[in-house]
Amino acid sequence: MSATKRGNDNPNQPRLNRNTRAGQSESFGDLVKLHRRFARGSAIRLLQTPASSLVTLFVVAVALLLPALMFGLNSNLASLLAGFQDSAQITLYLQDSVSEADGQKVSDDLLTRNDIEDAYYVSPSQALDEFGASSGLEGLLIEMTANPLPGAIVLTPSDVSSSAVDELARQLQELSLVDVVQVDSLWLQRLAAISNLVNAIGSVLSVIVILGLFFVVGNTIKLAIENRKAEILVIKLLGGSDMYAARPFLYTGLLYGLGGGILATLLQGIILATFNSNLEVLMRLYQSDFQLRGFGLMSSLLVIVAGAAISWTAALMASLRHIRAIDP
Amino acid sequence: MIKFDNVSKRYADGQEALSGISFEVSRGEFAFITGHSGAGKSTLLKLILAMETPSSGQLIANGVNLNRVSKTQIAHHRRQIGTVFQDHQLLRDRSVYENVALPLEICGYQPNDAARRVRAALDKVGLLNKEKNFPEALSGGEQQRVGIARAVVNRPSIILADEPTGNLDPELSAEVMKVFQQFQSVGVCLLVASHDAALIERLNCRTIVLEGGKLLADQKLRPHA
Ligand SMILES: Nc1ncnc2c1ncn2[C@@H]1O[C@H](COP(=O)(O)OP(=O)(O)OP(=O)(O)O)[C@@H](O)[C@H]1O
Ligand SMILES: [Mg+2]
Repeated sequence: MSATKRGNDNPNQPRLNRNTRAGQSESFGDLVKLHRRFARGSAIRLLQTPASSLVTLFVVAVALLLPALMFGLNSNLASLLAGFQDSAQITLYLQDSVSEADGQKVSDDLLTRNDIEDAYYVSPSQALDEFGASSGLEGLLIEMTANPLPGAIVLTPSDVSSSAVDELARQLQELSLVDVVQVDSLWLQRLAAISNLVNAIGSVLSVIVILGLFFVVGNTIKLAIENRKAEILVIKLLGGSDMYAARPFLYTGLLYGLGGGILATLLQGIILATFNSNLEVLMRLYQSDFQLRGFGLMSSLLVIVAGAAISWTAALMASLRHIRAIDP
Repeated sequence: MIKFDNVSKRYADGQEALSGISFEVSRGEFAFITGHSGAGKSTLLKLILAMETPSSGQLIANGVNLNRVSKTQIAHHRRQIGTVFQDHQLLRDRSVYENVALPLEICGYQPNDAARRVRAALDKVGLLNKEKNFPEALSGGEQQRVGIARAVVNRPSIILADEPTGNLDPELSAEVMKVFQQFQSVGVCLLVASHDAALIERLNCRTIVLEGGKLLADQKLRPHA
C-alpha cells in the first residue's frame, strides 16, 4: 500500500488527524453496518455453543418471568377489584326516631360529598318489603303490627381501598342520626390488601432478580471472555481499547436479555392459558366470567426492554472488569 | 522517535533482562537488534510497545513517556505502532483477510477503505491469494508474512519486528526487507530484532548488539556501503 504516497513531515500529527477523520467520516449507515456485523458475530458465537446458550437464555427468561407474573397477577387483582367496586358498600342504619323525610334528606346530603360515589335511602317499609321478598316470609310479615326494621342509607364509596373506607365509616359514625355503620366490604378490603402484598413481593422479587441477572449474565460473560482471552490479548496489543474489546460481549448480553424477555412473555402466555382453563371452572361457580389477562403489548415490551437493559448493563460491567484484567 | 536513557528491566522473578540501555533511533531510521537468545531483544521491543514498564531509566517513544502512561494512552500509543510478534499472535478463528484488517477495524476505518488497504498490504507480502484461508492452514513463513502485513497495514510511525524472517527463505526475507525499507523511506522508524547475520550484513543497517541485557555495541552504517 501507498506508504510512499504519504508526505510525512511530522508523522505524529497527521496520523492522529487521520485516525479521527476515519472515525468521523463514518456515516450513520456505516455505523449501523458495523454494529450489525458485531451483533451477527455475537449471535453466531451464541449458536456455536447452543446448549450453554440455551441454559443461560432460559435462566434469564425465568428470572424475568417471576416478577413479571407477580405484577401481572396484581394488575389482574386490581381489575378484579375495580369490577367489584359497586359491592364495596357501607350501610348506615338510622335511629328509629328518624322520619322518612329526614332519612331521604340525609341521603341526599351525603351524595354531595366527593368521597361518596352513590347513596340511596331505604325506608323501613321498603326494607320490610325487600326482606319479605328475599326471605319468602311475606305472609308472615303481614301479620305483624309494627315494623321492626330501621331506615337505612346504602352508600358506595368513591375509593374502595380499606383505609379510605375505614376513614369514611368513622366519619359517618359521627353523624347525629346514624345508629350503626356496617361496612360490607371486608372481603374486598382483604383482596386489596392481598393485592398490595403481591405488589410488594413483586418489588422485592424484582430487586432479587436484577441482582440474579447480574450474576448469571456476568458469569456467562466471564466464561466467554476466558474462552477468547487470546483474541482480546491481540486486540489490546494492536491498540484496541477495553471498550472496543468489550463490544462483542455487550451484544452477547443484549441478545440474552432480548431473547430471555421474549421467552418470558411466551412462557407467561402459556402459563396464563393453562390457568385460565382451570379458572373458568372456578369462576363459573361464582357466576363470573372473570379471566386472567396476559401482559398486554406494553407490559410485554417492558419486560423485554427491561431484560435487555439489565442484561446489557451486567455484560458491560462484567466485560470491562474481566477485560481490564487481561494485560499483555 | 525512540529514546532509551539508562533503561533497565527487571522481571518480577528477579531476572534482569535489560540493564542500563541507552540509545536513540530517529525517524526514518532502520535499526537491527541482535544478540544471543535471551539477550533481551524481545524485552526491549515489549518496553516500546508498553507491554512491560521499565524498572528504571527513561523511555520515550513517539513522544510518549512510557514510564508513566495511562490505559487510554497505551491503547492510542499502540495504534501508532506496527508490530510483528515473535509468536505471530494471529487470531485462529479469523481469516487472513480479517486478521490483517483488525488494526483498521480498531481505528474505525470504513470497510471499503479498509479493504483496499488490506489487499495492498497482502500484496506486498505476496499473500493476496490466501486472504480467505485461516492461519492454521498456512505454513510458518506464510503466517509470519500475515503478521507483517498486519503490522504495516495501518501505516504506523514505528514498526517493531521480532524475528520477522525467522521462518522465511532468503528470497522472501529480502522481499520483506524491501517492504520495510519502503516504509523507512517515508520516515517510519524501524526496529527489527533478528538473528539472521547474513541478512543484517547484506542490508548494511545500523545494528544494536545486546549481550546478557547489556548494550554491547551500536554499529552505525559502514561508510563504504
Ligand atoms: N515474562 C518474563 N518473566 C521473567 N523473565 C523473563 C520474561 N520474559 C523474558 N524473561 C527473561 O528475560 C531474558 C531476556 O528475554 P528476551 O525474551 O528478551 O530474550 P530474546 O533476546 O528475545 O531471546 P530470543 O532470541 O530467544 O527471542 C531471558 O533471560 C528471559 O528468561
Ligand atoms: Mg525474543
